[in-house]
Amino acid sequence: MNFYSPATGIVPDAPVATAQPPRLELRDLRKRLGDTAAVNGIDLQVAPGESVVLLGPSGCGKTTTLRMVAGFLQPEGGEIHLDGTLASNASFALPPEKRRLGMVFQTYAVWPHKTVAENVGYGLVVAGGKRAEIDREVAAVLDLVQLGDLARRYPSELSGGQQQRVALARALATKPTLLLLDEPLSNLDASLRQEMRFELRALQKRIGITTLYVTHDQDEALVLADRVVVMNKGRIEQVGTPEEVYRTPASRFVGNFVGTANLLEGTVVTVDRAAGRVSVALYAGDIATARASAGWLATAAPGQHATLLLRPEDIRFDRPEKPDQQTGLDVRFVSAAFLGSRYELQLTANDTPLRVQSRTPGTFTDDRARLWFRPDSAWVVA
Amino acid sequence: MSSATLFTDDPHDVQDGAPLLQRLSGIQPVKLLVIGCAIFILLALIAYPLALLIGYSVIDAQGNLTFDTFEKAFNRRGMWAATVNSTMLVGLVTAGACALGIPLAWIVARTDAPGKILVTLAAGISFVIPSFISVVSWIFLAAPNSGYLNKLAVEYLGFTQAPFNIMSFGGLVFIEIIGVYPLVFFAVSAALNNVDASNEQAARVLGAGRLRTTLTITLPLVRPAILSAVILVMLDALSSFGAPAAIGTMANFSVITTKIYDLLKFPPQFNYAAAVAMPIMVFTAVSLLIQKYAVRAENFRTLTGKATSDQITTLGRWRWVAAGFCIVVIFATAVLPIGALLLLSVLSSFGADITLSNLVTKHYALIFDPDFVARGSIINSLLLALATATVCAGLGLVLGWVVERVRFFGREAITFLVMIAYGFPSIAYAVGILMGYVNLFYGTLTLILIAYAGKLLPIAFVLVRNGIQQLSTDLEEAARISGAGWLRSVRDVTFPLVRGAVGIAWVLVFSLSLRELSMSAILSQADTQVMPTVVIQFIEDGAIELAAALSVVIVTVSLSILGLIRFFSRKKTAVVS
Repeated sequence: MNFYSPATGIVPDAPVATAQPPRLELRDLRKRLGDTAAVNGIDLQVAPGESVVLLGPSGCGKTTTLRMVAGFLQPEGGEIHLDGTLASNASFALPPEKRRLGMVFQTYAVWPHKTVAENVGYGLVVAGGKRAEIDREVAAVLDLVQLGDLARRYPSELSGGQQQRVALARALATKPTLLLLDEPLSNLDASLRQEMRFELRALQKRIGITTLYVTHDQDEALVLADRVVVMNKGRIEQVGTPEEVYRTPASRFVGNFVGTANLLEGTVVTVDRAAGRVSVALYAGDIATARASAGWLATAAPGQHATLLLRPEDIRFDRPEKPDQQTGLDVRFVSAAFLGSRYELQLTANDTPLRVQSRTPGTFTDDRARLWFRPDSAWVVA
Repeated sequence: MSSATLFTDDPHDVQDGAPLLQRLSGIQPVKLLVIGCAIFILLALIAYPLALLIGYSVIDAQGNLTFDTFEKAFNRRGMWAATVNSTMLVGLVTAGACALGIPLAWIVARTDAPGKILVTLAAGISFVIPSFISVVSWIFLAAPNSGYLNKLAVEYLGFTQAPFNIMSFGGLVFIEIIGVYPLVFFAVSAALNNVDASNEQAARVLGAGRLRTTLTITLPLVRPAILSAVILVMLDALSSFGAPAAIGTMANFSVITTKIYDLLKFPPQFNYAAAVAMPIMVFTAVSLLIQKYAVRAENFRTLTGKATSDQITTLGRWRWVAAGFCIVVIFATAVLPIGALLLLSVLSSFGADITLSNLVTKHYALIFDPDFVARGSIINSLLLALATATVCAGLGLVLGWVVERVRFFGREAITFLVMIAYGFPSIAYAVGILMGYVNLFYGTLTLILIAYAGKLLPIAFVLVRNGIQQLSTDLEEAARISGAGWLRSVRDVTFPLVRGAVGIAWVLVFSLSLRELSMSAILSQADTQVMPTVVIQFIEDGAIELAAALSVVIVTVSLSILGLIRFFSRKKTAVVS
């Protein structure tokens, strides 16, 4: 299985060529938990200053991977390198405290018996810093996360969002070379979660810290990542920028997991390798042109089966100037819901269910309408 | 798998990149050492004596496997009678404890009878008083002829002869019942409180009446609790030693435990003692297995909550019958024994009229007299309690942490070993300790400490382990990531957060050490007497007033140290789950 984005064939922002060693490098990492291969051969490099998000459903191995990086789990195969030095393999594991990492836990893990300042300063105390220096650093990092006023409080007196910031401050206080975040926002309520996403992203960019972030929330991943690593069943399905994993997913799984996917099956009619396109006769009716990865195109031939991915927002009622389709997709109305900023329509095209997001409720005659894809939006997933 | 092609294909050629020094730092010597020591102590405390005990009973002097020892041991004079007595004791005590505990639990949890809090309090007091101290009280109250209740009955109620005789098998059964019924009472009333009202409401909505609901819904729901309590009561009755020793001596009968004690008197016959202990061990093992598989499998509903007003039965006229029953229980199990104990300890002599002029403090004076055996036993007891509590709390912390936090195959084995020690009859365990350590520690407090620590470790272990279980592992991992080593993370994070549980464990173990009799009786020598053995000595010597005074000391210290639990259970910090 190829884990690179098939669209480009190379890793975006590939850190391989830089002179500095990658902050983190995973080589064919493997770990079994019980009977299942929780992590089943993972290769990844994280460049200095980069923010990489491991995205996948629960049980995909993303948290296991993170815990191996942290040193809480030992891999059964493969290696973990931090700053070019071996940190773990099957026979050796550097203990977590010697890895110079920062980590934010899903439960925050803010120590209830220590004040905010004591929590944040703990790593510095352990490192044996001078009292005055520690106080200064703690104050600085608390200001960074806007908690300067709460230094003397105990965690039980703080809100969930504030505890979250304490956890972040604590992780940052020791100036780690790599910051690990394990679903840090999943215990916050929805609105706070959205706010914190952008704040975390801004903070990460501002201090330029290398981050490895684990989440099952695709929106979070898209906001926070320089590169998204989509995982499934212990393997990497795709690595790419947020745009790449959303617009040019390497597999049905990625297409479905990152965003909502309409999958239209059909048969290849023509292949244009130079333009990177194929035209496909859809079982739902109509013939549509779609982009495809170089790898897929290399073996594509007329008569072959193909699946097209279309995002709900890329399907429209208006015919574009140069449509990718011949006749437009003939659809039947099933139901509609008004979601404030848009309408969510459930339609069928020749028994294939279709979800469409539209600013207007659309016009249907006898419950039927013709729909058009936004040019260049159709993508072959397999 | 083609994904590795971009990088080096051979994972081994990069290992040279890790300097040897850094690779060595992956080993965590302190952690290994602490855990290793704890496991070694555990094996020495529990596994070794138990193995010896079993070994002695089935291996003869020549080292051959034999069952002769059993045959010979049980053919000794009086052994069958003792076995029959033990069996009868277990049966009667279990039946009595259920007959007392279950209705009482129902009254307290589910009816509007008055004085319910007092019943709970009385059960608590009754539970705290060890049976050998109850014996002291009840000798005062119901000794044939001279017992004060008997005198009362003959002089004022027109009885022609004394109605009560505590110095009999029936008396022993009675004392055991009031000692163990709180187990049934607490288990069943907790279970009744935990039955979610909606279960019963659902049955009522479907048309079942109150009685039918009770019989078909409520009772089956609390059955696991009853079964667990019954098993505990049976084990307690079977392994009880204090009251049977005190009463048996006077009424001239034996049970298995007192026979074991006799076998260890000079010259000690370890083989026979071990063989006689074997039935108790087997019974215990079987009971624990039943508990583990039958009860746990059924124990599928533990909801938290209190009985809602809907679940409270209005007793109407029966309210006062229930109240009467409660008052009798309160008096018989708490008020009378405690009152009798206090009174006896200041009465000039047992049998004297209760008048102000007959109240004296000479017994206490004698108890604390530096030249008298009692004072030394108080010091010994306190020292032992202190040491046992500390050892158990420390060991419980380490083992609890290991079991909750380290993934390795021996985890279950540790739990199993510790729980065996819990279910194990004290008297048999003491025989094992004696065989294992008599050469090393004969006649020292250390020998007794080993026995106490092994027997009481489970209590500390369970409490501390529960505390650790409630702590998210993240809290410790956060410390590790911050740069703290294992020991430091335990010291800075784990320990402060389970301090409450450790404190409660310490207090409980301390209090239980103070009243431990069966092991002390076997292991203590002239210089290592403890308070309970001296109390028994006083009873046997007929110095019942001194026994009462020393008992008051035990109860007072126990209760006041238990009061510390309130201090430890006050929660200062909220734990984020």
